[in-house]
Order: sequence, then structure tokens, then C-alpha cells
Amino acid sequence: MIHNIIGAVLVLIGALFLFLGALGIVRMPDLYNRMQTGTKATTLGNVLTMIGLGIMHPAWLPKLLLIAFFVLFTNPISSHALARAAHRVGVPMTPLTVKDTLKDKKPVVKEVEV
Amino acid sequence: MKQIISMIAIVTVGFVLWQLVPIAMPTALGPVTHHYVADGLKDNGGSNLVTSIVVNYRGFDTLGEVTVLFLSVSGAAFVLRRRSGLEVTEPVPASEIVQTGARALFAPIVVFGAYIFVHGHLTPGGGFQGGAVIASGVLLLLLADRDRSLPHGSLSWIESLSGLGFVLAGLAGLIVTGSFLANKGVLPLGQWNRVVSAGIIPIIYILIGLKVGSELSVLLDVMVHAAGDGEGN
Amino acid sequence: MNIVTWLNLVDLLVCLVVIISAVGAAVHRNLLAATVFAGVVSLAISFLFLRLAAPDVAMTEAAIGAGLSTVIFLIAVRRTEEVEGKDQ
Repeated sequence: MIHNIIGAVLVLIGALFLFLGALGIVRMPDLYNRMQTGTKATTLGNVLTMIGLGIMHPAWLPKLLLIAFFVLFTNPISSHALARAAHRVGVPMTPLTVKDTLKDKKPVVKEVEV
Repeated sequence: MKQIISMIAIVTVGFVLWQLVPIAMPTALGPVTHHYVADGLKDNGGSNLVTSIVVNYRGFDTLGEVTVLFLSVSGAAFVLRRRSGLEVTEPVPASEIVQTGARALFAPIVVFGAYIFVHGHLTPGGGFQGGAVIASGVLLLLLADRDRSLPHGSLSWIESLSGLGFVLAGLAGLIVTGSFLANKGVLPLGQWNRVVSAGIIPIIYILIGLKVGSELSVLLDVMVHAAGDGEGN
Repeated sequence: MNIVTWLNLVDLLVCLVVIISAVGAAVHRNLLAATVFAGVVSLAISFLFLRLAAPDVAMTEAAIGAGLSTVIFLIAVRRTEEVEGKDQ
């Protein structure tokens, strides 16, 4: 009975982090901030949900841990690739930016209408 | 103009499919479906009824589907073959994080794809799904290292031998029991819910998984390295 | 509201996502955006297959439709023009 309560609380916290990730994607000023909230919050929400489900059903715990490890491994890599590609294409940053570390990399700009 | 036509097409097809729902999803089982559901486990010995139908009851259609896949990949590879004399502009290489992560992830993805098609008769999955997962792992490698090219010779050997093995398995059924791609008399059905069971179904699924995986990998390699001309790069 | 009504609501929302993304894929002029919309359609349809108790088809649709097919379309768009109807 006690593992049900712990598992349910963990799933609830994971769902809260997923909601915060979605809220961040809507409310952040530019692309790079959105990608940052989108990855960090959703990865943590995924991992917590999987661990909470594993505690509620102990027979599924090894497979859920494998899925959580896979998500933890691939989400940051994919968002890094997307952000680097966006910087090279020349997506503008918000005027509140303080420091741009990659400023000397020349962006590859291609004129696309619409 | 094209957009108006596509909107009308979407609305019409959606309406037609909506009216067809009572016919496509009946509430009672027909006689053929009833025979599959009632005798499926007894005839095949595997827990997954869908794969028993795909490989045993409708095995000939699966052979046709594998042939269609082979033809389409051959056609695409023939059209996009590498022509000498056209230069390709070099794209930006991927960063080191992506390269290391792709190399570290390739082996678990291939193992996962193999798990899917070896356990095709027990869990949801099968040959096509496992082959698609293996091809997506190969795509990850192709995106990480731009100048890596796959060994086309070995991959086409694997693909041809797997397709030949599928036909030979059907011929073995023809020799032993008298019907092509038969399941019951060729290999023992074994115990339920074990890996080595369900007759010839796991063998056919392993062959289909290898064939689809190597085919889609060759297709992706040909498309990524095709010599570009005209607009774009 | 019990769990069945909540799941029916989720099904309805996913159907809405399918319709809007399909219309967006057909109408949009920038072909990269249209390809992404087609990938979203495949992903939402694979979820609906799972809700209709067909896990084999859902796995196939997710692996091929939302993964490989989108990548092949993107490679094809990169080799040809990116905005549809530039000369019209």
C-alpha cells in the first residue's frame, strides 16, 4: 500500500514538471529559451513518471528504468543538435541576451520566403 | 488553386471514411475471423495472434509485400545512383557530442530491433517493425559522420540471402506437407510462450527483419549521399 | 467524470490534432513545415491505433511514419526546392 502512495506522488510531480515544460514553451521570448525549458523540464518529467510507475508496479521496473535511461541519454543530445543548427542558420536572439559565446561562428543564411 | 483542391479532397475522403465506419468495424465476428480467433493458438502455438495470421494464414501476402519493398528500394537506388563528374557541396559536420552519442547509441538500438523481431511470435512486433528500428539506428550513424559510407556489398548479400531464405522456408513447407508456407508439419510447435516455439514463424520473422533492416539502410544511404544538382545542395 | 470519459476526451483531442495537422500539411507552402506536419499526423495516428487495441500497427506507424518517412521527405526537400510554387 505504501509503495502505491509513493509511486502516485512521484507520477504527480512528474506530470507537474511536464506541464511546466509545456508552459515554458509557450511563454519564453525566443527559440533558445524555449528549447532550454522544453528539454530540461520534459526530460525530468519523463524520468520521474517512469520511476513512479515502476514503484507502483514492481514487475515492470527494469524495463521502465531502461526507457528512462534512454530518454535521459537522447533528449539533451537532440536539443543540442537543434540549438546548434538554429544558431548556424541565424535565428535571432531576444534583445535581453547578455552574452553570446558562439558569436564568431559565421551563420549560414539562406533566403527563404513565406 | 492546388490548395483548394487539396482541401476539397481532404473533406471528401474524411466524409467517405466516416460513413464507412459501421462496415469496417462490425460488432460481430465473421466466419473466417471466428476460425482465426478460435483455432489460432492451436494451429500455430504462438501467443501473438496477429503475427500468426500475417505469417501463416496470410503468408503469401507477406511474401508479396516483401517483394514490393525490394522493388521500390531497387528502383530508388537505381534512380539516385552516384554519377561521377557532379560535385557535392560539403555540409557542416556534426558536433562532437552528437557524434559520440550516435556511436554509443547504435549498438543498443540494433539490439532492440533484433529483440523485436526475434520475439515476434510472443510480443507485439515482428519483422517489419524490427527492421525499421535497425534502419533508424543506421540513420543515426549516417547523420553523425557525414563521410561514412555503408558497405553496400555485404548489405545486398544479406538482403538477397534473407529473401531467398523466405522462399526456401515456403518450399520446405511444400515438400513436407504439400502446401506452400505451411507451418504445422515442418517444425514442431513447441511449448507455448517460449522463444523457440510456433514452428517456422520465428525463422521467417528473423529473415524478414534482416531483409527489411538492410534494405532500408541501403535506401537511406543512397538518398543521403546522392549527387545533388540544380537547386538546393 | 470517471476514467473512461477522460480517455474519450483525450481521443477527441488527438483526432482534432490529426485533422488540423493534415489540413496544415496540405495547405502550407513551405515544404519543410508541411513535412513536419505530416510527421505529426503519423505520430497522432499511431497513438489512436494504440487506443484501438492494435499495438503492432501502432509500433509500425510510429517507427516508419513518424521516423523514416519524415526523414526521407526531408532529404527529398533538401535536394529540390524548398518553397512550393516559386514560379507560379
